[in-house]
Amino acid sequence: MKVAYNFGMKLIDGELGKSYIIESIDGGCLAKDRLWKLGVIPGVIVKIKRKAPLKGPFMLEVNGVDVVVGRGIASKINIRELE
Amino acid sequence: MKTVALIGQPNCGKSTLFNQLAGYKSLSANFPGATVEYTRGQTYLDDEIIEVIDLPGTYSLSWYDDAEKETVKALFKEDIDVIVNILDASTLVRSIELTIELMSLEKPIVVALNMMDEALRKGIYINVNKLENVLGVKVVPVIAKKGKGIKDLLKAIKNAKKPSKRCVYSKDVEKYINAIASCIEKNNLQNEWPSKLMAIKAIEGFEACQKPLENSVCEDVLNQAKFALKDGLVIVQERHALCMDIFEAVAKVKKKEKKNFEEKLDTVLLHPFFGYISMIVIFFSIFYIVFHGGVPVENFIIGIFDKIDHFIDLSLANYKLTHAIVKGVVDGVGAAFGIAFPYLLPFLFLISLLEDVGYLPRIGFLLDSTMHKMGLHGTSMIPFVSGYGCSVPAIMATRILKSRKEKIISAFLASLVPCSARTTVIMGLVGYFIGYGYAILLYVINIVVIMVSGIILKKLLPGISPEMALDIPPYRLPTFKTLLLKTWHKVKDFVFLAVPMLIGGSVVLTLISYYHLDNIINAIFKPFMELLGLPSTIGVVLLFGVLKKELTLLMLYQALGLSSLSQIPQMLTHNQMLIFTIFVMFYIPCLATIAAIKKEVGLKATIYITLGTLLLATLLSFFMQVIIHIA
Repeated sequence: MKVAYNFGMKLIDGELGKSYIIESIDGGCLAKDRLWKLGVIPGVIVKIKRKAPLKGPFMLEVNGVDVVVGRGIASKINIRELE
Repeated sequence: MKTVALIGQPNCGKSTLFNQLAGYKSLSANFPGATVEYTRGQTYLDDEIIEVIDLPGTYSLSWYDDAEKETVKALFKEDIDVIVNILDASTLVRSIELTIELMSLEKPIVVALNMMDEALRKGIYINVNKLENVLGVKVVPVIAKKGKGIKDLLKAIKNAKKPSKRCVYSKDVEKYINAIASCIEKNNLQNEWPSKLMAIKAIEGFEACQKPLENSVCEDVLNQAKFALKDGLVIVQERHALCMDIFEAVAKVKKKEKKNFEEKLDTVLLHPFFGYISMIVIFFSIFYIVFHGGVPVENFIIGIFDKIDHFIDLSLANYKLTHAIVKGVVDGVGAAFGIAFPYLLPFLFLISLLEDVGYLPRIGFLLDSTMHKMGLHGTSMIPFVSGYGCSVPAIMATRILKSRKEKIISAFLASLVPCSARTTVIMGLVGYFIGYGYAILLYVINIVVIMVSGIILKKLLPGISPEMALDIPPYRLPTFKTLLLKTWHKVKDFVFLAVPMLIGGSVVLTLISYYHLDNIINAIFKPFMELLGLPSTIGVVLLFGVLKKELTLLMLYQALGLSSLSQIPQMLTHNQMLIFTIFVMFYIPCLATIAAIKKEVGLKATIYITLGTLLLATLLSFFMQVIIHIA
C-alpha cells in the first residue's frame, strides 16, 4: 500500500543556490529514515548550496545545518519551487 | 559494577567526553561479531568503579549503516545501567529526536548538553532547568572540550533515574501505535525493542521492526496504520513539530552571528577546482612534515638499537642460539619503535587534527563520486593515503568506515598501496637499476590496479553500499589534550598489535638462518619461482617479506649470494627485477598488517584478502612476464 508521488520535480533537477520545499520522499528510498533525522522532511525548505563535480553529492542547507546527500538519494526526493 | 553507555549523534563531541571521563586508561577492543569497534574505559564514581562504553554515533535507533546498527545492538545486548545521551546544544532540535527515542527504552538516563559555548556563539540561549522539566530527564550542561561539568555529570550518573515523561503523539496517532503495540504483545512478536517503539518504527517502515510483523496476525493493523499515517510521515512530522516546540520553549535565539569566516573557508576548500588543489596541498604538507621530520628521529632510534645490538653481540657471543633469539626480539622492538615514534605519531596526530577540525567529511564530499565507483565513500581516502607510510595504521583507519562491505574493500585495497618498506624495493631496485621513470610507472600501475580491483570487488561482494547522507559539522578548534589522547589511543593500538608480530617475525627469521632452513624453503618455492621466471633462491626472500617487508631488499642480495646491493644486476636481469618488484608490491601483506586486518574485519575476510593479494600478485607478475616475452 505505497503511495506513489511520481509527479513534479526531483531534488536532483534543482538549481544551484535556489531554495525548494520538500514535497515527499519516494517509497523505496533506503535513506528515508536518515533523511528524516537530518531534518529533510516534507514541508521543510532546503537550499542547494553546492554540487560536487563528477556527479558527486549535493550539499543542502536545512535549518541552518549543512547536509550532504548522494545523487541517488537526491533523485528520490520530490521538491516544489519556492514562489 | 555499573555500566554506562555514551550515545549521541555524530559530531556531538562524544569521544571527547569519553576521554574526559575515562581518560587514557581506556582500552579499545573488538567485540565478537562486531564489525565496528567501540571503546570501553573505566572511571571512579566516589569509591565505585564504573565502566563507560563509547558507542559509535547514531542519528537514530533505526539504523542506516552498519556502525549505527552496532550501536543499537549494543544498546540492547549490553547490560547497561545508565544511558548518557550527549546532545550538541548548537543543533538541539535534531538532537532531541534521538533523546525521545532513547527515553522510550525506559532505562535510567542522563542528558549531557554539550557544546554550550558553541550554541552561545550561534546566539542560542538554552534554559537548562526548563529543558529538564520538559523532557523529564536530568540535564547536565557540559563543555567536554574544556572538561567543564564532568563532576556534575558523574554525580547525575550516580543518581540517574528513568525518564518521568514520555513522548505522546496526537490522539489519532496514539490510537494506531497502541493497537499495533498491543497486538505485538498479545502475539509475542516482540524482539528486543520496546513494543511501542517497535510499533512506531514498523509504521515508519524500518525493516528490523517491520519484518516480524509481516505475514503475522498484526499485518492488517500495521497496514491500516501505514495507510492512515502516510507510511509514518504523520508521526515523523508530529515528532519534528514536538522537537521544534521543545526548542522554542527552552531556548531563545538572539541575532545569529554571521559565520562569515567558515563560509569563506568552505568556498575555497569545497570549490570544484580549488577544493581539490587545497586537498592535494594539505596532504602533501602532511607527508612532507611526517617524512622530513621523521628521518632524524628514526636515525636516532636506530642508533640506540644499534648500540644495544652491538652490546648483545659482545656479551652473548658464546651462546649462538640465545644470541640469535635475543637479537631477533631486539630487532623487532626496534623496528616497531622506529616506525611508531618518528612517523606514526605525527601522522596520526595530523590526521586526528583534520578529523576534529571537521575537514574529513568535507573530503568525503569532494571525493565521493570517484570512490563510490569502487564501492567506497569519500572518507575511505584516509586509509589509502595512510597506506603510503605503513599499512598497519592504514588498515586501522578503516575503523571510521560505516559498512562492512566498505571496510573489507578498503582493507584489501589499502593493503595494496606500497608502504614505505615496499617503496624501498621499488626505488632501490627498479628506480636505481632500471630508471626512475619505470618506478613512477609502477606507482601508476599500482593505482590503476587498485581502482580496477575496487570496481570488481564492488560487484563481487554482497551487501549494499549505502549512499552518503550526513551532516557536515561546522569547523571546530580541537584542544591539544583531546588530540593527544586520540593519537595516543591509535599509537597504543599499533604498538600492541605490531610489536608482537614484528618480534615474532624477527625471531623466526633468525631461527631460519640459524638452522639453515633456507634451502628447504627454496625447494618448496622452486616451481612457483619458475612460473614467474625468477631464480629459485629468491623463494626465501619472499617468505621473509611476509614476516617483515623492510628486509626484502637486504635479503635479496644475500639470498642471491652477493656481497652488496650494487651487484644485483649480475644475477637478475632488468625484466626479472621488474617482475620481482611487481610481485613484492602486491603480494601478501606483512604479518603485522594481517593481524590488523583480522582485527578490523575478522578471520574469514582476512584469509580471503591474503589469498586475494597472492593471486593478484601472481597474475600480474605472470602477465608482466608474458608481455616482456612478446615485446
